[in-house]
Amino acid sequence: MTTSKLSRRPVLLGLTAAAAMIAAPALAAPAIGKPAPAFTAIDSTGKSRSLSEFKGKTVVLEWTNEGCPYVQKHYNAGAMQGLQKSATGDGVVWLTLISSAPGKQGHKTAAEANDWKAESGAAPTAILLDPKGQVGRAYGARTTPHMYVVNPAGTLVYMGGIDDKNSADAATLKGAKNYVVAALGDMKAGRAVAQPVSAPYGCSVKY
Amino acid sequence: MMRRLAGFLLAALVLPLSLAGAAQAEPVDTGHLKAELIAQTQAIAPGQTIQVALRQEIDKGWHTYWRNPGDSGEATKIGWTLPTGWQAGEFVWQPPEPQPAGPLVNYGYSGEVILPMTLTAPADATPGQSVTLRAAAAFLVCEEICIPEDALLELTLPVQGEPARPAGRWAQPIAQALEAAPRTADLTAAFQTGEDGLKLAVTGDALAGADMAESYFFPFDGAVIDHAAPQAIERGPQGLTLSLTPSYAFQGPEPPQVMAGVLKVDDAYYEIEAQAGPLPAEAAGLGPPMARASGGDGTGLGLPLAVVFAVLGGLILNLMPCVFPILAMKAASLAGHAHEQSAARRQGLAFLVGVLATFLALALVLIVAQAAGAAVGWGFQLQSPPVVAALCLLMLAVALNLSGVFEIGTSLQGVGTGLASRGGLAGAFFTGVLAVVVAAPCTAPFMAPALGWALTQSAPAALLVFAALGLGFAAPFVVVAFAPGLLSRLPRPGPWMDHLRKVLAFPMYGAAAWLLWVLTLQVGPMGMARLLAAAVVLALAAWLYGLSQARAGGVALKGGAAVLAVAALAAVLIPAYQTPEPAGAASGAVAELPYEPYSAERLAELRAQGAPVFVNFTAAWCVTCQVNEQVALARQGVADALADTGTVYLKGDWTRKDEVIAAELARHGRAGVPLYLVYDRAGAAPVILPQILTEGVVVRALEAAASAG
Repeated sequence: MTTSKLSRRPVLLGLTAAAAMIAAPALAAPAIGKPAPAFTAIDSTGKSRSLSEFKGKTVVLEWTNEGCPYVQKHYNAGAMQGLQKSATGDGVVWLTLISSAPGKQGHKTAAEANDWKAESGAAPTAILLDPKGQVGRAYGARTTPHMYVVNPAGTLVYMGGIDDKNSADAATLKGAKNYVVAALGDMKAGRAVAQPVSAPYGCSVKY
Repeated sequence: MMRRLAGFLLAALVLPLSLAGAAQAEPVDTGHLKAELIAQTQAIAPGQTIQVALRQEIDKGWHTYWRNPGDSGEATKIGWTLPTGWQAGEFVWQPPEPQPAGPLVNYGYSGEVILPMTLTAPADATPGQSVTLRAAAAFLVCEEICIPEDALLELTLPVQGEPARPAGRWAQPIAQALEAAPRTADLTAAFQTGEDGLKLAVTGDALAGADMAESYFFPFDGAVIDHAAPQAIERGPQGLTLSLTPSYAFQGPEPPQVMAGVLKVDDAYYEIEAQAGPLPAEAAGLGPPMARASGGDGTGLGLPLAVVFAVLGGLILNLMPCVFPILAMKAASLAGHAHEQSAARRQGLAFLVGVLATFLALALVLIVAQAAGAAVGWGFQLQSPPVVAALCLLMLAVALNLSGVFEIGTSLQGVGTGLASRGGLAGAFFTGVLAVVVAAPCTAPFMAPALGWALTQSAPAALLVFAALGLGFAAPFVVVAFAPGLLSRLPRPGPWMDHLRKVLAFPMYGAAAWLLWVLTLQVGPMGMARLLAAAVVLALAAWLYGLSQARAGGVALKGGAAVLAVAALAAVLIPAYQTPEPAGAASGAVAELPYEPYSAERLAELRAQGAPVFVNFTAAWCVTCQVNEQVALARQGVADALADTGTVYLKGDWTRKDEVIAAELARHGRAGVPLYLVYDRAGAAPVILPQILTEGVVVRALEAAASAG
């Protein structure tokens, strides 16, 4: 590449455009109001967990990556842990998923996941390890965090961001509208989820 | 004189330095980028609006984001702390680059990016004073991982009485950034969701006549489309329609009524605001755009150059391995008339007409097929097993004729093999036809860019290029036929001609054997058995026919021969061939380099991982491809270079019809195989290797790609 920096940009631009166009949809697109994609994954205690075992309960899926600044925003302040505790206290099943591939940021072995859980005080029902990204791809998980809520009938009722503040700045937690809290609140009150979709934000899932 | 010049140069050097004292800013290194505030002027007057900008110099491999960062990420932000009365505008966003990351796609920037915005001084600003403006910029900088970085930036501007004019180091870059920003043309846009996804149609004068290839819609809202999904393009007389994959927003209780964003068409970027509603008719109906001549030798080929390339390609086609049997026939035919000048001329012209007619017919078929939306290209007819089988039998028949098993009588001249026997014009004409038919598997150098270009143009331009190709192809024969000097150098007809004829039979047997191999790869051993049986029957028919010629009045023999020949041909045409599993493609035949089958997904994935990739688009019926495999790709040096550089070898097999590969060829401005691409680690545009490979060319390209980035 001997082209100068300036003349190279349009080339790069065209090329990346081309590359983007051939990046065919490797991510599935789950649909609100339809059955949530079934999955089975090993949790950090070595147990095989599947979505179907939680039929009859509300299930929250949280994609995480410890190294991601957006995830850190929610964990360093204790916000995510608080949400996990209050949800599981209400009988909600909270599954935290790690879809980072081995060698990539956020990847955890079972032992590392348990250590992280203890250190951070995370309180999910289980941490599911998805190093091949199969569950992540089935759900079209793009970012960390990326949140999904499945109702007791197994229907997907929410997917998207954790809240409405696309920022890694902890100051934005205050005053943010937390969509998961809202969705769980709607369900508890027997209402339809008022805002079933939002744009997720954060780091890319490190497939 | 010299002194004055030196003084002038000195002044030119010093001037910017002294002016730099006027507007001041310090770049801040935030870790993975350098950020600074820059201004298009060196000062500002009370009430004046000037252009300032946030400039980022991003570390290699790292990115910052556009206003819609795509599947992940966060747009760059700026917050000004301005004295009372001062006002700053919003960023003028530069067109983003789509940045694939695994299965995701982000929209952002790499390298240097300048985001201009306006700055307005209050009317009561005091000339003579200097004002320092502060802004906090927040960036999300990502490579594989993402890091939020902040910078507190300052810009000091003197206030002066006269309005300041653009000056200084940044005047030009900011002007360029403003120029490059998406513009609002008078475009009408509408979108509609239906069973076949989300259609976005855009019309307007600015789009009429655009070639539309690589058009792309960047939405402002990150929730409306699946950023990673391909955007299929359909052209219309006044615009285009993009097929998008709707995303989250369309699942909500209130689907979007407006979809705004940036539309890339050719190399222009337009800001559009699409309304939900019926799509305008003038935005569709002309099919997808085909090749955009890009990269390598096909860049921006105009009609004159395409014609020149086509003539050259046609000339060289005479020398390509698959055309060798044709050369043989031509030589024999010409020698037969070497000493009858007028006959030779007529033969030459008839041959030319045959060549041209066939090329034009092929061009018409291609154009019609393309208009019907089929992904076809040069050599497409050989993707059909019955055509390959029939061609194989034809080769065999020609070979048997050359071997002297039978002669072509006047009654059968029309078959196209009346070469060395009689001086019939029809014979020469059909020799031309036959030459083109068997030349189809070959693409000669120069031919590929010309054809790639032609197939994206209007029908007349495409026909012209094909005609030029035919002229080039027929030229050597015609020149010899018309040059008495050359003709007289050919030896007189005699017994040598019979020997030559019998020697030349062998390339034809070779061509028949090769087509048998192609068919076997296409349809498997059962197809091969059918063709071999038909070949035996055809040989019997040829022998019977020859026998009938030896005896006077062998009508029964002739009839039997004709029935057998028809039966042989019918046997390879009907019934249809079963297509075997794709696993049995061109691979297994030869021991060769380990490779992975090409798929767009796999290529995108490898590129996202930063792996260097070598892509080989080939076909069993493409002789050039097969020769390259043997003389270059099968060499140890290439295997070593692939292993040493960690390059992944992807092979796209076009032996059978494959729309994905056809589209990929088209994108690189090609209409046929071979096409060799080398992608480096850095994500730069692929290098297109020449169509005739050598070991050294491949090894050097692989090493260069591995060391880049």
